Amino acid sequence: MAVIEVKDLTRTFRSSKGLFRRNAREVEAVRGISFSVERGELFGLLGPNGAGKTTTIKMLITLLLPTTGQASVLGFDVVAHPREVRRRVGYVFGGDRGLYDRLSGLDNLRYFAELYAVPPREQRTRIHELLELVGLTGREKERVEGYSRGMRQRLHIARGLLHRPEVLFLDEPSIGIDPVGARELRATVKALVEHGTTVLLTTHYMFEADDLCDRIAVIAGGQIVSSGTPDDLKQRVSSGPVVEVEVYGVLGGVVDRVQGLPGVRSVVVEERGQAQVLLVHVEPGAEVTQAIMSCLDDARVGRVVTREPTLEDAYIELVGTP
Amino acid sequence: MSSLRIFLIGGLTSYRALFTWLTPWILIPSFILGPIFQILFFAYVGRTAGVGSDSFFLIGNAVLYASIPCLFAMSNTIGGERQHGTLPLLLASPAHRIPLFLGRALPVIINGFGVSAVALVVGALLLQVPLPLASLAPLALVVAVATFSCTGLGLVTAALALRVRETAVLANVVFGILMIFAGVNVPLDALPSWMGSVAAWLPLTHGIAAAREVAAGASLVSIRTDLLVEAGLGALYIGIGLAMLAWFEREARRRATLETI
Repeated sequence: MAVIEVKDLTRTFRSSKGLFRRNAREVEAVRGISFSVERGELFGLLGPNGAGKTTTIKMLITLLLPTTGQASVLGFDVVAHPREVRRRVGYVFGGDRGLYDRLSGLDNLRYFAELYAVPPREQRTRIHELLELVGLTGREKERVEGYSRGMRQRLHIARGLLHRPEVLFLDEPSIGIDPVGARELRATVKALVEHGTTVLLTTHYMFEADDLCDRIAVIAGGQIVSSGTPDDLKQRVSSGPVVEVEVYGVLGGVVDRVQGLPGVRSVVVEERGQAQVLLVHVEPGAEVTQAIMSCLDDARVGRVVTREPTLEDAYIELVGTP
Repeated sequence: MSSLRIFLIGGLTSYRALFTWLTPWILIPSFILGPIFQILFFAYVGRTAGVGSDSFFLIGNAVLYASIPCLFAMSNTIGGERQHGTLPLLLASPAHRIPLFLGRALPVIINGFGVSAVALVVGALLLQVPLPLASLAPLALVVAVATFSCTGLGLVTAALALRVRETAVLANVVFGILMIFAGVNVPLDALPSWMGSVAAWLPLTHGIAAAREVAAGASLVSIRTDLLVEAGLGALYIGIGLAMLAWFEREARRRATLETI
């Protein structure tokens, strides 16, 4: 049986403005999505801002009622049995908020340990274990108002794990964390999954999703537009490989000439330090490297790399953003 | 066990976390100077106008000031969660709501009692109002019951914070209503009869009346009706507050109003 089961889930938000003449507005944030997540799986939900990822998570952790459709976590319906769901899931979101600034990190954890009924005898050990895990040992007695954004985020993660949840919802958990912290977070998440925790992750960082997720659903406009393993998604992308050519001083007209080559889908120029990089998206099967080089005239050329499409390329194509 | 810990430890922790007045710069002016200024102001107005007695104004205003923490700190128990962005986490937790929210009331009752007690003692010394030693224990009981009752009303305003953004304005309005209706500075029989009818259903009205009688030497037995009504009103408001919290929590899940700041 799937740990998370979502069937035809929708959520419509109604808002109104104006004191006397109320103008009502309806937004369909989630429009009939269905997916399931198996035990021990790390499932990614990717999509642009406003796609409906957080709304979906909020329905699954019982903070929002679905407008229509059904969702269950660990066999408990999120509408009919919210308390059963709440006991068994953890929720971590990104950003600065969601902590008691006037309390120390330790007191924040103690308080949430009480809310999640972590037995008093276990609290001390569990909290210290988690402080160690997220690298906050030694700083736990300081008030959270003095914490950096990364420290706050790590405290969020410790908070979400206090009661050893069977299912963990991570909503953009790496926002604001430095690269070292983000790598440690990914290692932590991997370790949790190895120990049997089921994780539903949303992120904007494609390499993170590629590195972590067993399966991914790409959501756009409240609907799932594609799902599968990261490799499945990359293979479904209609564009072929990408040729990256490092050039020092791209002359006028070069981009147009490369764009006009047979087999070239699109050309983008990126500034990287003193060099420009031509990102040439190529039709599958087309061999254009020599033709591109001949278009560059006397420009000084650096590194030339041909690479397969990344998850980011697939994502951009799927959500329809150029 | 878990509910008891949420009631005691959780209540105290959330009070420390959310009541932003707990710094000397806010606490001393709001909880010590404010009530004393108000007591002196009305006592001197009363002396000048030749109405009431120093004891009347002292007790009315000292007990009234318990409502400052009762209303503002209680409102903050939900409003503060909203400000910190912790409200969704609180409501996504499996904690039982009754001990969770009642626990938040306990430190507030103690806070309100302390404010009234300090105002009574300092005000009595400044105005040289004699408070018989024998009346101190019953007076403390009456003030405690009045504070409990007012905290019940504070729980109602806290519940409204699940629906409205600005709870401090509401707390100020309720404070104004109590000051006018509860017989603080104007005897109830001098108010229009409809105001007296409203006052009968407000916290503090019966507590202030009982406190004045006790300070004048009455026994607890003779003021038991006022005391029981005051306690009953407190229980009623707590019941209403808890019901509203449950209702607004369900509505917040339906209407997605939790994260409105």
